[in-house]
Amino acid sequence: MVKRIARKELIEMLRDGRFRVLSVAVLAVSLLSLAVGWKHYADVARQHAAAQAATRDQWLHQTKKNPHSAAHYGVYAFKPKSPLAIVDTGVDPYVGVAVWLEAHKQNEFKYRPAQDRTAVGRFGDMTAAETLQVLVPLFIVLMTFSAFAGEREQGTLRQLLSLGVPPRRLALGKAAGIGAALGLVLVPSAVLGVAALMLTSDGGFLSGSLARGALLVAFYLLYFAITIAVCLGVSARARSSRLALVVLLAFWFANSLVASRVVADVASWLHPTPSAVEFQTAMDAELNKPGEMERRLEQRKAELMRQYKVDSVDALPIAFSGVSLQEGENHGDEVFDAHYGRLFDTFDRQNTVYQIAGLAAPMLAIRSVSMGLAGTDFQQHRHFITAAEEYRRLIQRTMNGDIMAHPTTRTSYLAGRELWEKVPEFEYEAPATSWVLGNMRWSIGVLFAWLLVAAAWMSRPLATAML
Amino acid sequence: MFARLLQHEWRVLRADATVWVVGALFAAGIGYGVLNGVRWAGFERAALRNAAAEESERYEKMQEQIAGLQQTARPVAAFGDPRNPTMFGSRFGPRYAMLPVGPLAPLAIGQSDLLPSYFKVSTDARETIVAASEIENPHRLLVGRFDLAFVLVFLYPLLILAVTYNMLSAEKEQGTLALALSQPVALGTLAAGKVALRALLLVGIVVSFSVLALLVAGVSITAPGALARLALWLTAVAAYGALWFALAVLVASFGRPSATNATILATLWLVLVVMLPSLFNLVATTLYPVPSRVEMIQAVRVASDEATGAGSTLLARYYEDHPELASGGAEQAMNDFNAIRVAVDDDVAKRARPVVDRYEQQLARQQQMIDRLRFFSPAVLMQDALNDVAGTGTPRHRHFLEQVDRFHAQWRGFVVPLIFQKARIADAAAAPRFAYEDEATVAVARRVVIGALGLTVPAVLMTGIGVRRLRRYPVVA
Repeated sequence: MVKRIARKELIEMLRDGRFRVLSVAVLAVSLLSLAVGWKHYADVARQHAAAQAATRDQWLHQTKKNPHSAAHYGVYAFKPKSPLAIVDTGVDPYVGVAVWLEAHKQNEFKYRPAQDRTAVGRFGDMTAAETLQVLVPLFIVLMTFSAFAGEREQGTLRQLLSLGVPPRRLALGKAAGIGAALGLVLVPSAVLGVAALMLTSDGGFLSGSLARGALLVAFYLLYFAITIAVCLGVSARARSSRLALVVLLAFWFANSLVASRVVADVASWLHPTPSAVEFQTAMDAELNKPGEMERRLEQRKAELMRQYKVDSVDALPIAFSGVSLQEGENHGDEVFDAHYGRLFDTFDRQNTVYQIAGLAAPMLAIRSVSMGLAGTDFQQHRHFITAAEEYRRLIQRTMNGDIMAHPTTRTSYLAGRELWEKVPEFEYEAPATSWVLGNMRWSIGVLFAWLLVAAAWMSRPLATAML
Repeated sequence: MFARLLQHEWRVLRADATVWVVGALFAAGIGYGVLNGVRWAGFERAALRNAAAEESERYEKMQEQIAGLQQTARPVAAFGDPRNPTMFGSRFGPRYAMLPVGPLAPLAIGQSDLLPSYFKVSTDARETIVAASEIENPHRLLVGRFDLAFVLVFLYPLLILAVTYNMLSAEKEQGTLALALSQPVALGTLAAGKVALRALLLVGIVVSFSVLALLVAGVSITAPGALARLALWLTAVAAYGALWFALAVLVASFGRPSATNATILATLWLVLVVMLPSLFNLVATTLYPVPSRVEMIQAVRVASDEATGAGSTLLARYYEDHPELASGGAEQAMNDFNAIRVAVDDDVAKRARPVVDRYEQQLARQQQMIDRLRFFSPAVLMQDALNDVAGTGTPRHRHFLEQVDRFHAQWRGFVVPLIFQKARIADAAAAPRFAYEDEATVAVARRVVIGALGLTVPAVLMTGIGVRRLRRYPVVA
């Protein structure tokens, strides 16, 4: 029975001129955005890989110099692009692409791509994700608003129910028919998207990306199911199909265009962040806290003299200059961890507010999940920041350790390629999918809650309300 | 007659509950948008105040330190001595170049959350200085702000369409149109009356609530330049409204049923406001892609490696270019690390320039293309105009950056000779200060008026066509 209703809905839709026009439009936009996303990804991935190789090369081919000079010379870490950024670029345009890893300082990521675009970029990117989050729901609204309301206006609904069709089955059948029609539009783009993924990713990335891609598809299907259920529920209750359309369009507008902005603003009121100058001033004050370094150095001196059982620093078998440099790093690391940690935690809290607010507007939830799975959300950016900083600290420890092991006066000792090679190449490993899903737990919960409520709303009080 | 039409329409509209609901939502959106803008402007002002305070505190401390150092002959490490011009220019003395918040900044947040409004200018490379950015959750930058500009660009046209899509078709469908036209009134006059009342109402709501919200939030609209900008803002609001009313009249003139009109107008809104701007961005960034800045980073690094390797040769060449600096004899300064540093920096900047220029040229090409394309999307025209009025758009920021560049040159011009003379800074207060010179209001007005014309001309054309078509309007279905 459900199958037959679904088939009727599908056939009716395929014969509808609106459906043909809309589906061609959605298909065209999603293919265009995928193609552009793919090209952009390929360009940037190539540029970043080349730069990463070059920075390693420069590090290895340094002239002979004091290890601390090498630490100052440093290396760059360039953020690799996630293959699924083809689908959803997420916050990528709004975070820096590179960070300089040098002695004494945790630098910030520089060069946000959005600053190299015109102001029109702020209207939003035409990515596949944007199409799926904004245009497809609109498409669903336009195809479903009259599903029940229209039949009631034509008088066919009364006939149908008089045949003894259980309203729940009717709703399910209609939902299935609309879903099938939607599939006809989206499957081609999904297939092409997967093909593009296969083309771009090398063997190693493929497994991870495919799993994430599959999850991405599943969550988008979930989102569309929610949208269909909401639309059918409204259509079954609205007095006229026109009213159903108005209500659904208002929902679409609030959900896809207004809610994001309002919630992001509210989140930053709840969890405010400092301005850059405030942040820097506070951090500098702590870095240069009077007496702090002296205290730490005295303590280290005492410890080392006890350890080596000598009574003067000069008698130590290691170079104290290296110890002193490393102690400076340790002090800095504590301060950086505290200050950057607090800042990034605030961003995370803001983003959690955003995820929870998905209860009011499901678009917020799917947006977070989509970025998360695409590897382009803030948390994965932070993951990379942490990895790059760990690598910086590794360089510092290696360089300072080498200085310690060569007790001459600091400036006269020169190291060469052997030491540079002791620092392994920076290899970033993207976090596991389970970690991402854990971060997205709020959004995932919200989506399932919406599905349950919307499905109940679609099928429950149908019989009485429908006539 | 016209007055009576307005009166009658007002009675009809007033009885419609949805009009009130929509009006209330609109007013709430305006209030919230202005509040948000005011908060942001407050945050920016506080940040600028903090920067200024940081600078003056730093200077006070430094002057004390200098005074202390000059009294005692105690030796001090070169890198800890603020009198050392190299250290003064890069670490102790840098001054902020600040872009002040405009008087009507709360009207549109624009690009001000993305493009920083203060830079700490030192002797460092220009690229390092302007790469600084303000702290903001990238996710918030991505989704954008709910400011007054958002309400005006997105919601305002939607409401115009909501109250106009059926203004003739509904009367026709109810059969009252024929009745009304049996009176001595032309259809054109009737339509004009309907549009006029709705325009008065909506523009009235926008203007009164915006100004009210601004006043409540304590924004002074009599500050210098504010009234002129407010007039420009009104022009933009009126022109944008005119365009959407004209569109509704044109669509109504085809005599289609209300439902068809609604579909056509909603589609036009979606295409013009939501899709075309992103499409323009896509086209511009695809035709003139700005390569990732990683290429620039690498180019600068290679240049800097080469320059450092050739340090002393470079210094000799630098003295050839600047013989006035070789006062103490080039031989003696040759080994001076700081002097070599200057020459190296100078050379790196020279070598990096073409690479940096490539980015800027490419961005300029994008901008040129958008500047032409935007005449096809009223939303882009309107957003640009609102940003201009608020002083949060790209042109003002570019104007600021040019001055930052000049100040950077001035700063180096102050510090570099001192390095070569091996002089010491005695009076830190003598270091140059940045003074922002705002764009002339005429320049802003010119841009806004061009944008407003881009909205008004098509509005007039569409109204003309619509009015002509109305003569053949099928009065009965």
